[in-house]
Amino acid sequence: MMQPSLEQKLWMYEYMVLSRRCEEQIATIYMEGKSPVFNMANGTIPGEMHLSNGQEPVAVGVCAHLEAADVVTATHRPHHQAIAKGVDLDRMMAEIFGKATGLSGGRGGHMHLFDPEVNFACSGIIGQGMGPAVGAALSRKMQGKPGVAVAFIGEGATNQGAFHEALNLAAVWNVPFICVVEDNAWGISVAKEASTSVPRNDVRAASYGIPGHYVEGNDPYRIHEVAGEAIERARAGKGPSLIEVETFRLAGHFMGDAEGYRPEGEKDALFEIDPIPRMRQRLVDDGDASDEQLRQIEEKAEQRINKAIDFARESAEPRPEDALTAVFA
Amino acid sequence: MSTDIIVPIDLYEEEEDAVVTSWLVDDGAQIEAGDLVAELMTAKVQHEIQAPVSGTLRILKQVDDVVAKGDVIGSVG
Amino acid sequence: MTQSKNRKLTIARAMAESVAQEMRADERVFVMGEDIGELGGVYGNTRGLLEEFGKDRIRDTPISETAFIGAAVGAAQDGMRPVVELMFVDFFGVCFDAIYNLMAKNIYFSGGALKVPMVLMTSTGGGYSDGGQHSQCLYGTFAHLPGMKVVAPSNAHDAKGLMTAAIRDDSPVVFMYHKRLQGMGWLGTEAGATVQTPEESYTVEIGKAAVSRAGTDVTIVSLGLGVHHALKAAEQLSEEGVEAEVIDLRSLVPLDRDTIRQSVAKTGRLIVVDEDYHSYGVSGEVIASVTEHDISVLKASPRRVAYPDVPIPFERGMEQFCLPSVEKIIAAYREIQPSRSPSAASV
Repeated sequence: MMQPSLEQKLWMYEYMVLSRRCEEQIATIYMEGKSPVFNMANGTIPGEMHLSNGQEPVAVGVCAHLEAADVVTATHRPHHQAIAKGVDLDRMMAEIFGKATGLSGGRGGHMHLFDPEVNFACSGIIGQGMGPAVGAALSRKMQGKPGVAVAFIGEGATNQGAFHEALNLAAVWNVPFICVVEDNAWGISVAKEASTSVPRNDVRAASYGIPGHYVEGNDPYRIHEVAGEAIERARAGKGPSLIEVETFRLAGHFMGDAEGYRPEGEKDALFEIDPIPRMRQRLVDDGDASDEQLRQIEEKAEQRINKAIDFARESAEPRPEDALTAVFA
Repeated sequence: MSTDIIVPIDLYEEEEDAVVTSWLVDDGAQIEAGDLVAELMTAKVQHEIQAPVSGTLRILKQVDDVVAKGDVIGSVG
Repeated sequence: MTQSKNRKLTIARAMAESVAQEMRADERVFVMGEDIGELGGVYGNTRGLLEEFGKDRIRDTPISETAFIGAAVGAAQDGMRPVVELMFVDFFGVCFDAIYNLMAKNIYFSGGALKVPMVLMTSTGGGYSDGGQHSQCLYGTFAHLPGMKVVAPSNAHDAKGLMTAAIRDDSPVVFMYHKRLQGMGWLGTEAGATVQTPEESYTVEIGKAAVSRAGTDVTIVSLGLGVHHALKAAEQLSEEGVEAEVIDLRSLVPLDRDTIRQSVAKTGRLIVVDEDYHSYGVSGEVIASVTEHDISVLKASPRRVAYPDVPIPFERGMEQFCLPSVEKIIAAYREIQPSRSPSAASV
């Protein structure tokens, strides 16, 4: 297996830790004002919240190969991908808090994070990120400009019409597009085997005449390798690919999800193979980093997230009448 | 002689408080043992409260009131 | 005649009870949708159904709305009576062809030879920061396109009766339930929606509005959550001697224009409360139904308290600024209330 470079390994570890610290903090802050009565409308961060704990390897394994100019579309569970793509952390946090300094001044919230500086966008309709990513890839091709477009979706979205249409179109137009499916095995309460006609979605790539890969084990190095190949293919003008990555969610579908549908013991078993401590151990065992070095990375990450949270807390709310602006260009 | 309607200790696993989200019978109405009388919520999960005996319902805790395990939310007389 | 048991239901329970009763009575009725099986529905409206009826008749679907709603149309035309859920009305975008071009038009295209006895139930409404793709009402969108009946209950009694009527209807019915009225505590509570609901099967006529509160001074027309705002505004107005009549539309298609017109003919003043977007929708339709019929009944301009024509913002202050409210209804009344005549004799 082609290993990531040392620099890439450390980058990936740092960004996994950043992402996890972000989700842990948000989970705590989300519950502010929602106890003892869990009313979604209340508290510092109202609305829904979909956290990515456990899925960090997918974000870093793919985004390690991407530049600011490359395009990423993501879903209702976007924080790890936004962070790995280089979205402005302060403004992202402010947007999650609904502040005027947020990426969209509070209009979007956690499910609708748009950062044109790094070509990142996400929103909440399943499968909807596919079309725009194909279009971005088409645009680069038409303009003769470099860049690839990656659409992150969940395995549930592979049963949505947009998935099939977009893959076909990307193949017909031969554009630099990669679809990355995060297979966390659950579409809210419905397991993959109950909703999907094939056990693994890599085989569906054949329907569209494009390469398909399945990456097991939620392993950032393996993901890095496979994603790297697909992205290189795209950059070389050889067209789209489909990658499905086995991962898992350590949290519920949304904050407040009682997860009664998950079999007994499933989550406990997953905590045992949390990808972050695993990578940490591997870096030390492989001699790639010292415990002290990693501790410094972890501390820096924690401080960075705290800074973003402070920025968000201290920022002003938008004026209510700002709801009526920014409708048209 | 009336019987308390109590939030059962084993209604849910966590130690946290619950909130009354619905009363499904009017105050003062006749109810039968086993009737569904109220819904409580902890975090995001709804729980059911049944009448322990038959009789007249007296509501003590209102919708949106926060209650703990063991609290009396009503009585049946 | 036996006395009806004192028993209230939340709208979620009322919907589930209606479906269960109809499923017991008619084996052609079945349910499909996302998370409606094991989970009992994200909004609790299919609780208990999987346990009672099993996987063949209670089907959790993949995230494939075009396919399973299209499938519902085909099954309905072939003798089944599907109840299918579109989890959020906002998701209509991915499957609207199956809804407005097939479900709504096939009876017509077949000259009445085909029946399409399906119910499309879908959640609506915001006010809890779920953002622009998860908070819409879209009443106007569904009501505007011909061929589908549309109902929107404000309370559990009507919800059960309308669901039963919808399942028994041989035409397609879109059943739009407001998330904040379901009785799910995590979306807030609206005690006014949890009301006495008979245990036996019954129907509420589709196409018939209800007068929730009689009055003489102003007509407030609404549906869903708006009815509860209107009733609270009416309470406040009553304290100053103004008696508002509140009309709960309950159905959008057919629209009960007679009840609206009769009410405004009595009061002379009209306020429409609509959580859907302001322009090109329910509020305009209600007003036009009055003015085109007999404009002389109006003693003041009609008023609408509706959502502005903007995507729904996430942030609480901005979202609340846009939503209809009791205060906005009162303010609308102020704009049209009778002014003191300078020549009024003092007592």
